Amino acid sequence: MRTAEDLDISAAFRQGHADGLKQAYDRYSPLVFTIALRMLGSRADAEDVTQHVFVTAWRRRSTFDPDRGSLAGWLTAITRNAMIDLQRRRQRENGALHRMAGSQPSAAPGPEHVVDRVVLADELARLGEPQRIIMALAFYSGLTHQQIAGAMDLPVGTVKSHIRRSLLRLRARLEADSGTRRP
Amino acid sequence: VAHVDLEILALLALERAGGTDEDTRHLVTCDVCRAQLSRLAETVALARSEEGSVPLEAPPAQVWSRITAELAVAELGPPQGARAAAGADLASIAAARPAAADGPRASGPRRRWWYRPALIAAAGLIVGAGAATAVQQLGTVPPPPVTVVGRAALQPLPQFPRWRHASGIAVMEEKAGGRLLAVTLRAPASGGFFEVWLLGRDGTKMISLGDLNGAGTGVFIMPPGVDLGFYSRIDISLQPFNGSTAHSKVSVVRGSLPGS
Repeated sequence: MRTAEDLDISAAFRQGHADGLKQAYDRYSPLVFTIALRMLGSRADAEDVTQHVFVTAWRRRSTFDPDRGSLAGWLTAITRNAMIDLQRRRQRENGALHRMAGSQPSAAPGPEHVVDRVVLADELARLGEPQRIIMALAFYSGLTHQQIAGAMDLPVGTVKSHIRRSLLRLRARLEADSGTRRP
Repeated sequence: VAHVDLEILALLALERAGGTDEDTRHLVTCDVCRAQLSRLAETVALARSEEGSVPLEAPPAQVWSRITAELAVAELGPPQGARAAAGADLASIAAARPAAADGPRASGPRRRWWYRPALIAAAGLIVGAGAATAVQQLGTVPPPPVTVVGRAALQPLPQFPRWRHASGIAVMEEKAGGRLLAVTLRAPASGGFFEVWLLGRDGTKMISLGDLNGAGTGVFIMPPGVDLGFYSRIDISLQPFNGSTAHSKVSVVRGSLPGS
């Protein structure tokens, strides 16, 4: 899901204008920081990773190809790889500790899952009304679409088409920005 | 062959119900529709994989300072003046690559890099199975059967103009002998968190139901035996992070349950 604003930012970024970096940072740093924070659980580490991601992205901006995906997707891919590197380092360290203690390291949720969750939350927050409330009820309340229509005084057909469009939009955003592509 | 309507696939992914026998027969044999259903069901499962949605958080201001400090001024290039300049850049990019302006799908055949193993596995699971079983095997969390017993539109209060654009909805549901209250709120992000209360007719007695998540949503268990004739109103407060369990006296929206 790329808006005109996203395309503007992506163009300015690729051109190498300092404002392009600032715009990209303003728009996407909550995504990067939240992914890092949820993966690492430490604010200081998440700040370091955010800094690393934007510095790396800026230095490698000539390799960013908007034909192959969105800037948000490219940034999340860099974030994801930074997370995986960090996780591997930690696993090696923890693994050594656990072997000494004779126990198994615990399984944490993978970076892909965290990235997907945060990207999904970002897009959910961008849905307009009443789509956001409809999707919140559809996901979390256990209500059927008929019940949601009744609760919100909307025609069933309207609720169904909001659900279809919103779910496809969420899916499209996940596919574009979930960072499963190599940067 | 007519494929299954996307609307039906979306409802199948969410509710595991819907569609005709013909849709079911089609799903068993059509790879395209099954893949589409898997993709939607995967999205639903992801959304339901935690209680509600995570709020996004911006990094603290010093991170930006550290980035600009790490990147030498030479690396940052000249400041880009007006917004018109960005427009010109975009236009030149669009002119050089006509397909790019139409988004990622318009640029010819691309590797479908998003076709992740999990997705392929989900699609593979259901090959050869009946479509009804297929939907069950997709791994979506099944919404349990519920009955709506009441609803309340939640409105801002005149004494809090700050929230004049806020709105919400509360739906009371009956499920497995108990009552649940599903609440969603639309309100500008604020310092603090939103808490849901039952408010007594006397305007002072309150029962806290719990907090809304970052998406402004929550599903709460109604206290068994609570007198809804008295606790007939729902109030959502903005609570500061001060450790106090009392109502902050800042009400964002309020509404009355029907039949009370």
